[in-house]
Amino acid sequence: MPDEHPDSSCDDQKRTDAAVGALSRRRFMQTVGLSSAAALADRARAAAVADDTGAPPILGPGAVDIALHVNGATVKVKAEPATTLLEVLRMHLGLTGSKEICGRGACGGCSVLVDGKLVYSCMMLAVDAISAKITTIEGLAEGDALDPIQESFIRHDALQCGYCTPGFVMASTALLGENPRPSLDEIKAGLSGNSCRCGSHSNIFNAVLDASGQAPIHDGEGA
Amino acid sequence: MSMRDEHIPTVMPTTNRSANIGATLNDDTSRLEAIAKVTGAARFSRDVYLPNSLFVSFIRCPYGAAKLESIDTEAATAVQGVLDVQMSRKRGQYHGQPAGYLVADSPSAMWRGLRALNAQWKPQPVKTGITDEISGPPPVPPSVQSLLDEAENTLDTVYTTQVQTHASAETHGSVVDHHGDTAILYTSTQGTFAARDGMEEAFGIPLSAIEVRCEHVGGGFGSKLRAGKESLIAARVSAKYKRPVYLFVSRAEDHLDTGNRPSSRTYVNIGFNSDGTILGGRMQSYGGVGVGGNGGVHVPSGRYSLGELARDHTPVRFNGGAERPFRAPGAPQGAFVEELMLDEIAAITGVNPLDLRLARTTHDDFREMFTLGAEHIGWSSRAATGSQKGTIRRGFGIGSGSWERYPARAEAEVVINRDGSVEARTGTQDIGTGNRTVMAVVTADRLGIPLRNVSVRLGNSTLPIGPASGGSMTVHNVAPAMMQAADDAKNQLLALLADRLDAASQDLDIVSGEIRRGDETLMTWSQACVKAVGQPIVGRGNRTQGVARYGGAGHSRGVQFVELAVDVETGIVRVKRIVAIQVCGRVMCRKTAENQVMGAVTQGISYALFEDRILDHNLGSMVNPNLDMYKIIGTADIPHIEPIFYTKGQTGPRSLGEPPTIPTAGAIACAVYNAIGVPVRDLPITPDKILAALEGDAA
Ligand code: FES
Ligand code: FES
Repeated sequence: MPDEHPDSSCDDQKRTDAAVGALSRRRFMQTVGLSSAAALADRARAAAVADDTGAPPILGPGAVDIALHVNGATVKVKAEPATTLLEVLRMHLGLTGSKEICGRGACGGCSVLVDGKLVYSCMMLAVDAISAKITTIEGLAEGDALDPIQESFIRHDALQCGYCTPGFVMASTALLGENPRPSLDEIKAGLSGNSCRCGSHSNIFNAVLDASGQAPIHDGEGA
Repeated sequence: MSMRDEHIPTVMPTTNRSANIGATLNDDTSRLEAIAKVTGAARFSRDVYLPNSLFVSFIRCPYGAAKLESIDTEAATAVQGVLDVQMSRKRGQYHGQPAGYLVADSPSAMWRGLRALNAQWKPQPVKTGITDEISGPPPVPPSVQSLLDEAENTLDTVYTTQVQTHASAETHGSVVDHHGDTAILYTSTQGTFAARDGMEEAFGIPLSAIEVRCEHVGGGFGSKLRAGKESLIAARVSAKYKRPVYLFVSRAEDHLDTGNRPSSRTYVNIGFNSDGTILGGRMQSYGGVGVGGNGGVHVPSGRYSLGELARDHTPVRFNGGAERPFRAPGAPQGAFVEELMLDEIAAITGVNPLDLRLARTTHDDFREMFTLGAEHIGWSSRAATGSQKGTIRRGFGIGSGSWERYPARAEAEVVINRDGSVEARTGTQDIGTGNRTVMAVVTADRLGIPLRNVSVRLGNSTLPIGPASGGSMTVHNVAPAMMQAADDAKNQLLALLADRLDAASQDLDIVSGEIRRGDETLMTWSQACVKAVGQPIVGRGNRTQGVARYGGAGHSRGVQFVELAVDVETGIVRVKRIVAIQVCGRVMCRKTAENQVMGAVTQGISYALFEDRILDHNLGSMVNPNLDMYKIIGTADIPHIEPIFYTKGQTGPRSLGEPPTIPTAGAIACAVYNAIGVPVRDLPITPDKILAALEGDAA
């Protein structure tokens, strides 16, 4: 199966290590609500200079400069245009909180916010995120002050191995952004794009209920 | 652990799951590394990208059996960034079998190289399952036949289960950082110490020069117990090029070639009387192991008296990836056979399935847990099997499980520093079980100090030796060693303090972070450490002495009760509630223990209803090798799960990781049978099988 590929990765780790600290600050509140999905389509074009025929410019195949706004900082990387946002985050920027579990839009482990909108970063090219505001799991907390949803995940032990956790936290953040008091069924539907192999779901539901000011499910209450 | 982890508390009470509050050593602590895991700071092995790394991919057989006719290694090595292609075989015996590997200096060069190989494989005839080899069981032996003839009723049938892949969230793989004389192996493993066993040749240096690191592990359900081929190749390449090597397999490769729970086929001929007395019979099982393994089916389990049984098992090989241990190997398969068989006997004889189990159980703990579970689920509202007529039919089912307490060597250290900080040290890993948190909890408890003073170091082969996370062996082996180490450190501290204070050390004690003599508080823990500790105090413990002192004996038994609904028009099963009553000895940490139970139950539902590794019968290729096609339980399928610990008369820790996944599938199969009146004897119980069963019943 030659088209079933292992991971993707990074070579300019060193020069970006310094940028990582700056990326991990909480700036995502500024990005929430500024969604402009239509703008995404234009971004790749904005990244390159249009030729005089007016046809869309062709990027690559070699590495191109890509400037991204991640967790409130502007960073520049050089990557092939076919590079996914996930790969750039993990390998070029050292933001390894976003995980690859399936690599093709089936698990939510790579979830980030792009202009406040929940996105599978394994399914988005980095060039399509140019000029958007990207928030990763590293950008949710402000120093030692965790976001309430993070605190609620801890309180309810909404994780085991923790590999799916960043994705679930991002999806929960997006859900609460759209629906501040979701019912249990709405939580299940809202998080249905995320997969957890360890089976931490029940506690995740309770974490989201609690973070939205609702009582978690008590034993004996049934489903 | 970073400073931040130590300064944000994880001690946070919750009250929603009240059954176990007050019955555990620690009710309120969430796992210590939760902060690192919810902020993305936790670094898993797959997150280790080192400068100047090489990237390696296996070259794999694409069919169940195939001959490699041609491969263009020259074209691949001509690709810019590709350093090497090594081929090791020209024939494949299963889809995903490695035939070689390719080395490149970036992932994109690696992909381009793999494409340039243009490998041409010629498919060969394949066998893809047990029935390709086995058409039926051998005849029942005469002694069993006479027993069956004697019985008032007999049940002659076959129960089958599918192949399930482990699918841990973090795929299998390693990063090797070879420095010439020494090397670091960052790996996704369930066994810190096993992860380098036998690897000295690949590394070209002695084991003592190889340090294994696995501070965080993205799940492990039995497939990551040993050093894998991923580490082996990564080590070889890193030793050769003196560069770090990154080798993590893709999700598809993980499904194909990192083990699985083998399929099974169990023929049952059992005789019983109309009062539900079971006389015995024959059980012949086959395990579908792929290219290797035993594929055992753990039945009869010994939990019920089933009369005299002739029992035989045969592994069956075919063209599929080899089995590996999978959370309670053989046990969920066996429990499915046994519990559904009991419910079929119950239906034939008209005996209530609960009464049948109460009568046939072999241990009093089970009897009490069955009674308790029946109350919790509302068993009395269960309708007789097959009596419902509506579109949505309710079903109740019971399952049970049991797991041993396997001893394993474990040592531990507890270090007290002059500033009052404490380190609990064990080399064992925490794959999400809560091992780290339990170690902090028992250390703080033995020392008599608040949890925030304790940090845990684990997941490193330079730390004291301990077992792999397999066989549910970590907590009940390591915790006693850690408790002894903490007591040893405490005694040393009190002796030093007694010297300084001119007191007798046996008169001193530490309670709630204070040094006490009788009712008198002498000083705080921090003051005592400043006063008495010069060089750090190192307390030591080992499992053998620890268990003798702190207890821990016996099996971990459990029962589960399921309530579900079946839509007989669509065949869709909705599990509504599962009550899981579980023995695991003294519960050290409530939240992580409950989470283990809920996770095990959740995986059990997934096994019962959804998961299925499907091989193409013609080519032998897996047709569903990723999470969009290999269906694992999702958020919408999660019922309300109630974990209840049964702790009567239990003092020390017992096993917990595996036992609660044993009963679930059997209990679900029984509940489906109760709802629709026809048994579905083939896992997973998918809508098509339910509709077919109903149709067959109507015909
Ligand atoms: S890795 Fe992106 S959805 Fe699974
Ligand atoms: S906690 Fe392990 S995959 Fe979700």
